Amino acid sequence: VRRLGSLLVSPKLALVVLVTVLICAVVGVTVVRGARAGELIFGTLWFNALLVLLAISSGAAFFSRIWRRKLTLVSAGMILFHLSFAAMLGGIVYNQLFFFRGVLRLTEGETLPNRDPASYDYVERGRLFDFERLKGTTTLVAMHANYKVGASNKRAAYELEVGEGASPVRKVIYVTEYLDFDGVRFFCLKEGYSVLLVLSEKDGREVFGAHVPLQSYRQEGGAFRYASGTASEEVAFAFPPPPNEPRADVHLAFRPSTVKEREGEVSLRLSLPGPHGGPPVERNGQVVVGAPFDAGDFALTPREIRYWVGIDVKYDPGLNIVLASLCFGLSGMVLTFAGRIRQGTARKRRPEESRPAASRAPGIERESA
Amino acid sequence: MRAEQVMFWAAVVFYGVSTAAYIFGVMSRSEKLVGVGLVTAIIGFVPHVASIGFRWVWQGVNPFITIAESLTLGVGVSVLLFLLVQLATEKVRLLGTLVLPVSFVLLGWAGTLRTAAASAELVPALQSGWLWVHIVGASIGFSAVFIAAGLGLLFLLKERKEGGVYERLPDPKTLDELSYRFVVGGFTLYGIMIVSGAFWADQVKGTFWNWDPVEVWSLVSWLTYGIYLHLRVTMGWRGQRLAVYSLVALVAMIVSYWGIPFSVETFHSGFRIEH
Repeated sequence: VRRLGSLLVSPKLALVVLVTVLICAVVGVTVVRGARAGELIFGTLWFNALLVLLAISSGAAFFSRIWRRKLTLVSAGMILFHLSFAAMLGGIVYNQLFFFRGVLRLTEGETLPNRDPASYDYVERGRLFDFERLKGTTTLVAMHANYKVGASNKRAAYELEVGEGASPVRKVIYVTEYLDFDGVRFFCLKEGYSVLLVLSEKDGREVFGAHVPLQSYRQEGGAFRYASGTASEEVAFAFPPPPNEPRADVHLAFRPSTVKEREGEVSLRLSLPGPHGGPPVERNGQVVVGAPFDAGDFALTPREIRYWVGIDVKYDPGLNIVLASLCFGLSGMVLTFAGRIRQGTARKRRPEESRPAASRAPGIERESA
Repeated sequence: MRAEQVMFWAAVVFYGVSTAAYIFGVMSRSEKLVGVGLVTAIIGFVPHVASIGFRWVWQGVNPFITIAESLTLGVGVSVLLFLLVQLATEKVRLLGTLVLPVSFVLLGWAGTLRTAAASAELVPALQSGWLWVHIVGASIGFSAVFIAAGLGLLFLLKERKEGGVYERLPDPKTLDELSYRFVVGGFTLYGIMIVSGAFWADQVKGTFWNWDPVEVWSLVSWLTYGIYLHLRVTMGWRGQRLAVYSLVALVAMIVSYWGIPFSVETFHSGFRIEH
């Protein structure tokens, strides 16, 4: 136990662990990158254990040396700095246990319950997180393109209503502004067009309608194409979707008007079942928003264009501890810096009081910690 | 654009002349040549500042968005700090032996990456007060450790050479102490840069750390100086070893500051933020 204790307080161990962490970090952004680096290094138990060991080892090494030393501006700054490291680690660990991150996808006018896991496209959470922590519902009131705050163009802003009961919180959020409801924060993530596609029979009777969210595909030259599909490729979808009986496979693309917001042309490519079980029949065409597209037995009308948005929902109970620790750590650094300057000035004034030499290099004195 | 280009390249030329004067001055131990190095550095600094000011004031563009702008600003602040140190004491005249050659190379590199000024308005994600704290911390922090490395080089020169320009240099202990103080200042300012970046990321993305390549490299270079401080304070390192360390650490700093955004796709590469 004694040997383990002396190993733990050894600054050499802290330095070795620190260098190991640095090497791992460099490998994580050079040899392997992105999500793979998260899987192999940054998100692994061993790497996080290494971080914990670093905090414990550096804390033990520091406090075993500073203990019983005279409290000066420099030592106070160092204590603050090293304590903030320990507090930051505590905040990170606490957050890892209770955090929540989910992506809500909402079309304008749509409301989803926050505590229902099915509301989210993507969910990541700590082991001890409880969905009951997410209260109320979220409604996307509107998506404002080219939203201006003063003279600054914030480009995309989401008008949200979050809450429960009679007094929900309503706020316009944009990239540097989020909404906070009961400790849960809502951030802008991504947005796109959504086409309200309505199916009508030959006699004009509307039998089905649904919003079709479109993906943005970057083209050569930087322009975007908006079409139905997955994040990686354009694909057709069954319409009406199951459990209804599909009448066609529909591929849809939208070209927004450069003159008027939410107007433009919609290209449709339909694959209809062949007569008497024969091969499918293709039917292609282009209509403006609001006009019907004749599909033979029925018509499809892109009735209106709305926006859909992806909202990053985050609950990080340890975040304030981490951010406060960063501030304390910084204050510690500033105090140490100020203390060193003061020491230097005092030494200049009283050169006869300078400490005895125990140099390791010619002409250099050794300074105590 | 033309006037800005002329001013920029004039600065590069003067820094080039200054570099040559410092190198030959050190080799021939000539105080006159070192003096020429300092004068041409001052002359070069004027169009350098003017080229930054032209883009910032007249064109209304924040001069730190692209890598070329960031290099130009970082080198500008470094040369400013170098000149302030020269103003404070004549004893470290030779400091330009490291500062000017590195500034010349970095500014020349910036010249090959320069493009016309982008839109005057910052992208929405950068419309935050944290950005200014971040940029100030990064620029002055880099300059401070740059000067520290320059003092480290002077320490090594003082130990090995005698006579001529080397006689005027302070004793090794003073150089070592001065270099250490610049490292402490640079470490603190770089800390301010990292902390303000964390606050900005929290404001925009809701997370203070993303393991982005530039974030990681910044942490690596910051901790490299953290190790420097611990080697000195805890392990008692002094003099030659730390002087060499400060020179190596400067390379890590340059790589993390500009090399990584240049070579790896990251949200710091000209601040291409998807929003």
